[in-house]
Amino acid sequence: MKNGILDILKGKFLVSGDAPKNWLFIIYVSFLATIMIGSSHGADRKVHQIAALNEEVKELRSQFVDIHKRVQQLKLESTITQTVEKEELYPSEVPPSKIRVKSIKD
Amino acid sequence: MATKDRNILNRLYFVTAGLFLFGVAVLVKLTMIQLVDGEKYREIAMERTERMFTIAPNRGNLYSEDGSLLATSVARYTIRFDAVTVADDDFRTNIVPLSNSLSKLLGKSPTHYQQLLRKAKENKNRYTLVARNLDYDAYMAVKRFPLFIKGPNKGGLIIEQKTVREHPLGKIAERSVGYENVDQEGYYSGVGLERAFGEYLRGVQGKRLKQKIAKGQWKPIGNDNIIEPKDGYDLVSTIDINIQDIAHHALLAQLEHYKAEHGCVIVMETKTGEVKAISNLGRTPEGKYYERLNYAIGESHEPGSTFKLMSLVAALEDKVIDTSTVIDTEKGTWRIYDRTVRDSKNGGYGKISMARAFEVSSNTAFAKMIHNSYKDAPEKYVNRLVAMNLNRELGLPIKGEGKPVIRYPGDKGWSGISLAWMSHGYEVSMTPLQVLTFYNAIANDGEMVKPRLIKEVKEWDRTIKKFEKEIIDPSMCSKETAAIVKNLLKNVVEKKYGTGHKLYSPNFSMAGKTGTAQKNYVSKDPDVLKYISTFAGYFPAEDPKYSCIVVIHEPDKSVGYYGADVSGPVFKSVAQKIYANSPLIDEVEIPNLTDKDLNTDYQKYYAESRKEYHKVPNVEGMSGMDAISILENLGLKVEVKGNGKVKKQSVSHGTNIKKGNIIILELS
Repeated sequence: MKNGILDILKGKFLVSGDAPKNWLFIIYVSFLATIMIGSSHGADRKVHQIAALNEEVKELRSQFVDIHKRVQQLKLESTITQTVEKEELYPSEVPPSKIRVKSIKD
Repeated sequence: MATKDRNILNRLYFVTAGLFLFGVAVLVKLTMIQLVDGEKYREIAMERTERMFTIAPNRGNLYSEDGSLLATSVARYTIRFDAVTVADDDFRTNIVPLSNSLSKLLGKSPTHYQQLLRKAKENKNRYTLVARNLDYDAYMAVKRFPLFIKGPNKGGLIIEQKTVREHPLGKIAERSVGYENVDQEGYYSGVGLERAFGEYLRGVQGKRLKQKIAKGQWKPIGNDNIIEPKDGYDLVSTIDINIQDIAHHALLAQLEHYKAEHGCVIVMETKTGEVKAISNLGRTPEGKYYERLNYAIGESHEPGSTFKLMSLVAALEDKVIDTSTVIDTEKGTWRIYDRTVRDSKNGGYGKISMARAFEVSSNTAFAKMIHNSYKDAPEKYVNRLVAMNLNRELGLPIKGEGKPVIRYPGDKGWSGISLAWMSHGYEVSMTPLQVLTFYNAIANDGEMVKPRLIKEVKEWDRTIKKFEKEIIDPSMCSKETAAIVKNLLKNVVEKKYGTGHKLYSPNFSMAGKTGTAQKNYVSKDPDVLKYISTFAGYFPAEDPKYSCIVVIHEPDKSVGYYGADVSGPVFKSVAQKIYANSPLIDEVEIPNLTDKDLNTDYQKYYAESRKEYHKVPNVEGMSGMDAISILENLGLKVEVKGNGKVKKQSVSHGTNIKKGNIIILELS
């Protein structure tokens, strides 16, 4: 028992005869650890990215609504009537007439 | 004292013992923390690093019929200033330009902002409010201001974002669109469509366990206990923003002119009951108007003369009279018990038919007719009104519908004069929308449809629920009666003696009934006496497409108060605009004529116009019209002299094209 602990402390398993087998396992474990750490960082990065994108979506949405709002108000007949009143243009009191021409083959 | 080994050893033991005791103390404390208080500290640690988050869903949008936004959720920004994190040098050099920029954007004076920021710096305020609820553009501008452009650490800029409900059309239909709030106990309150259809708009909250990571972000962990948030559905309302716009501004202009207390307009599609516009404006003490309350839906009042239609339909249905029955209006006054019914025209109308009495809106004729016909069995008249659903609420999803009042004989308030007074719209009470529903039913040949404000519930482009036309009563009155009164309603506007003739236009037809009801008449003080001016009807008269009611309360009596003068013009504006916006379509049939020369000419031109030119083409010999279109499409400015075919072109063919260059064509 005492020897076992001492051997581990001395690093015997790294240099003894069957060391290559242990080494392979150690490399394998380190490889797994690297991937785990890497993916954890990757996940963190994703979260930051998502937060940034969410922020952007909100801002774009806000921008869209603001512009849409301006367009909607500009489109209103009352706004247009007011703007063109200076030019002495007024809304028509009679509807436009459409003439639909249908050609018949003779 | 000599330094001996023993002495040194003793000291060493002493120090060792001290260290050992210290070690033990640390160990004890550790055990205490782990075992005794462990639970508490572990919990705190968990809360710092892991937390259950509720994720708020996005509230759905409210659209108008054509897809314009009526209400949506957007981000608004509040700007604060951290005066401590900013370096003194930066602060000194930037305070003046920053204050100027802020003043330009937000409107207050530059000195106001300078004082605000200086004070913050003096008091080491790390959270000074600069501006609240900025929209996106303003927020972007603020971010680029001097000092603030340096960001949160060097510039001291603190940005807080929150989601608010925005009405892109501003004041228009604000009250009917409404709002919804939720308190801490989770109770919802509010008005309008937002409240009525809140359950669709709200969505479902999500839940998720998250772990804290760098930069104040939280990373979701675990796969258990996850509830995904579900965004609210979108609502498509029946409101047509063009009609709403017209109704709103027509009503506003009229209210301002008559300095009225408040008013409302409703426009409804006859066949389907879809409300195309609903506008409610109330006056502020300063004389401005805004969407104060939903009068159209909530305010039940005595309708006055517009109720004569209900009385007439009842009498015709019960066959107690017909339109040719002659009534003596007795010089415009008729005494019943101790009260007098008066006509608005001094001296009355003499002996007139019921049809004429309706068209000129004679109070005496109606009071006499209803009283005499039903005095032996007044419940018959009331039963008929009830059979026409006039005592029933419409059952709208919007809260706060006013209750209609139709009294039965024997009810509190019923008296010998009740029949006479009810006949012309007193001692009864209805909301504008309830009156309109009745008029709409007449326009619809007796089919009473329920007014609707919502068309469908959507999730993106998928329909979740459709709201179909609802019929209150498939035949509220006979088709014959409807046809008779429709003709009378048309005469009100068309005939010279009709009370609505001022609204007549030869271009388009309307039908309707004026109403001028008295308000506060009990006190008999002429100063307190106010009027309610109404116009209810539909258009076009022959084939009704829309019905509309305009109610204006308490117009300034010195300017005018008759229904035809005050409310009628709003009705006319709406009718006129809808008429002017629907094109008249004529179809002509013309035999297919083909001209050989014309065709070959056109083919030649077409081939020419499809070619891609990099140099000025040769247009000599071409017809002037064709040459102009080809050259102008190349970006040249064409000046023409004469008529006919091109004889000479000022820029010869093969020259490189420069946009905007002038080319002169001589035609002959």
